Amino acid sequence: MSVWGAIAGGFAGTLVLTTALRGANELNLTRIDLPFLLGTAFTSDRTRAKAVGYLLHFLAGMVFALIYYAVFVAIDSSGWWLGAAFGLAHGLFSGTALVSVLLPLVHPRMGTPSTAATSVALLEPPGFMMLNYGARTPLVTLVAHVAYGTLVGGFVLMAAQ
Amino acid sequence: MDTLRRIGGYAPLRSYAAIGDGRTVALVAGDGSIDWLPLPELDSDSVFCAVLDAERGGLFALAPELPYTVERRYLPETNLLETVFSTSTGSVRVTDAMTVPSDGLGPLRELSRRVEGIAGSVAMSWRVEPRFGYAGAETSLGWRAGVPVATAGADAMAVCSFDAGTPEIAAGAIHGRFEAHEGSSTLIALCAAHQEPLVIPARAELEARLDTTAAVWREWSDGLTYAGPWREAVMRSALALKLLVHAPSGALAAAATTSLPEEIGGERNWDYRYCWVRDSAFMLNAFLGLSCAPEARAYFWWLMHASQLTHPRLRVLYRLNGAARAPERSLPLEGYRGSRPVRVGNAAAGQRQLDTYGELLQTAWLYATTDHSMDRDIGRRLAEVADLVCEIWEQPDAGIWEVRSAERHFTQSKMMCWIALDRAATLADLGLIPARHAERWREGAEAIREFVETQCFSEAKQSYVRSTDSEELDASILLGVVFGYGDARSSRWTGTIEAIQRELAHGPFVHRYSGEDGLEGSEGAFLSCSFWLVEALARTGRVDDAVALMDELVELRNDVGLYAEEIDPPTGDFLGNLPQGLTHLALISAALAIATETAR
Repeated sequence: MSVWGAIAGGFAGTLVLTTALRGANELNLTRIDLPFLLGTAFTSDRTRAKAVGYLLHFLAGMVFALIYYAVFVAIDSSGWWLGAAFGLAHGLFSGTALVSVLLPLVHPRMGTPSTAATSVALLEPPGFMMLNYGARTPLVTLVAHVAYGTLVGGFVLMAAQ
Repeated sequence: MDTLRRIGGYAPLRSYAAIGDGRTVALVAGDGSIDWLPLPELDSDSVFCAVLDAERGGLFALAPELPYTVERRYLPETNLLETVFSTSTGSVRVTDAMTVPSDGLGPLRELSRRVEGIAGSVAMSWRVEPRFGYAGAETSLGWRAGVPVATAGADAMAVCSFDAGTPEIAAGAIHGRFEAHEGSSTLIALCAAHQEPLVIPARAELEARLDTTAAVWREWSDGLTYAGPWREAVMRSALALKLLVHAPSGALAAAATTSLPEEIGGERNWDYRYCWVRDSAFMLNAFLGLSCAPEARAYFWWLMHASQLTHPRLRVLYRLNGAARAPERSLPLEGYRGSRPVRVGNAAAGQRQLDTYGELLQTAWLYATTDHSMDRDIGRRLAEVADLVCEIWEQPDAGIWEVRSAERHFTQSKMMCWIALDRAATLADLGLIPARHAERWREGAEAIREFVETQCFSEAKQSYVRSTDSEELDASILLGVVFGYGDARSSRWTGTIEAIQRELAHGPFVHRYSGEDGLEGSEGAFLSCSFWLVEALARTGRVDDAVALMDELVELRNDVGLYAEEIDPPTGDFLGNLPQGLTHLALISAALAIATETAR
């Protein structure tokens, strides 16, 4: 197995994931905007937040691809289907814990269930499976993450052949 | 003003004031209810449209619980609306505004309502009924971080309230009540998101943005220069027009609403939230005349950019983002006082209207003679438009009034074709556009003049008529004298103005035309036509008559200085979409013309 396959897969997967989420956004299926959520942790300027957010999201995509790679090496197996399964797990983890619980805890502008009076603007918290951003959000994010995982798994397999 | 009386839940159109932020516009009725708000853009679906369906449309009501009287005004030189409610127990001041973005993280769109106790104690209640998608989308109500929110698909709106009682969610609405005392201050804000998570601002940020918004409007107004008569009406018109300018593109929407009827209960209900090429020359004339060069330049560049895709042909209208298509459909809404259908989109976009070419070349001429320059590429395209006019001016069209009956040879269309070729030849003489075909344009203009003078003039009426083979009259012909077709002091123009006054005018009111237009029913008097008559009177030397008529027309505005498209002469009620850009443009143009003619 080659780490370069994971990096290439992470690049392609993040590209597809970001495009899928943006497309779903444009089709009015969801209000999730991961670059906006990530970027506003660092700046209150909307435009700059999106630019920073896209960069961070891309870096996160590469980091997750390397984590996938580490697991592939550990179990000595990789492939399209295994990648898809990892993507599904990754999507579920994002919806139930990463974005919905952990992000609000560290995001300086995001509201939590315990948020009280504040002097600065709050970002709407995502809620369980990010359902606050629309009823179709879980489906959209899961599909996007499965696509991401499939590409990472597939690229790692192809690089190994 | 006494407590506003609604008929079947509908406020009189005359009672509406407009607030906006350069992206969208809300209508506030005289009883404090916001009955219209499209989000996130002016031509988007609405979240409130009680003005089109009182029962289901959605609104944001805010008023005293006891009977009250109302005094309203815009804060001087701003588009912030101030409403003072007086009751038997005290009085409160409500300041409404759509705020402009500040440096910090703010909502995509924000509408703020500040309630200040002036005297005594007043029990107030408020109720927000969000109905996204023209009341067609399933809207859910819930809570985020203790704030009530409404969501539907990609749209969401938080209702942030401070010292406004405990908000509750019940029966599809978010509501509350509170007591306003002398010196108290309450704030309720709608914070909207589209395709992104909601941003829920703190009170200090909301208050600061409200104050900043007032300052921004005052700064913009300070840049306007107009020292002539009817200054207040002219300045208010400029501010109303600025509400209709789509900030990202510079496009000017014809009005802020859709389907407010030209006849109560009738079918003449159209979507005016698009940019009509028809308005372009007035837009440039008005904004240049008031020293608003940035808006004028932005508009001209947007117009040339938008029309690039259909070049050299022009669409009648373009969307605010420059798109050329605006497919028309009907919504399942009751319509204002039963006026159906409620339409969104506009089928006129696909019509052939020859007058638009005249308006485009007149606009280019105004722009070029002010800036004394013309981009080479734009100049080449304008020359190609003039070439096209030479080819198509002999065709019938739907005319400026967009009749839905058979196409005709409308006189105003031919006159504007003459304007197109005359201006093109002038621009060529000035070296601002390629002069290769200038001689052809001059010959074309002469042929059009010959056609108009022989085919479009009635010896019996001593007037230009609506179209060839017709004895009908049309007030849009006045645009010929406004834009400089022929000699303004000629007997033909004098006779035409007299005929229009005789047959289409009743006091200060002027109807658009006599004869049919392919639609059922009738309509009110068209306010732009009244202002065109003012300008025509001034241009033909009857300045005293123009001043007298202008005085009457200025009195017809509503309590905050706005006009709709039409007016019902017997009752004075407004009809049609509002605030109507063309009416306000025509008012400014008439005032400028009188100032010019008086100075001669």
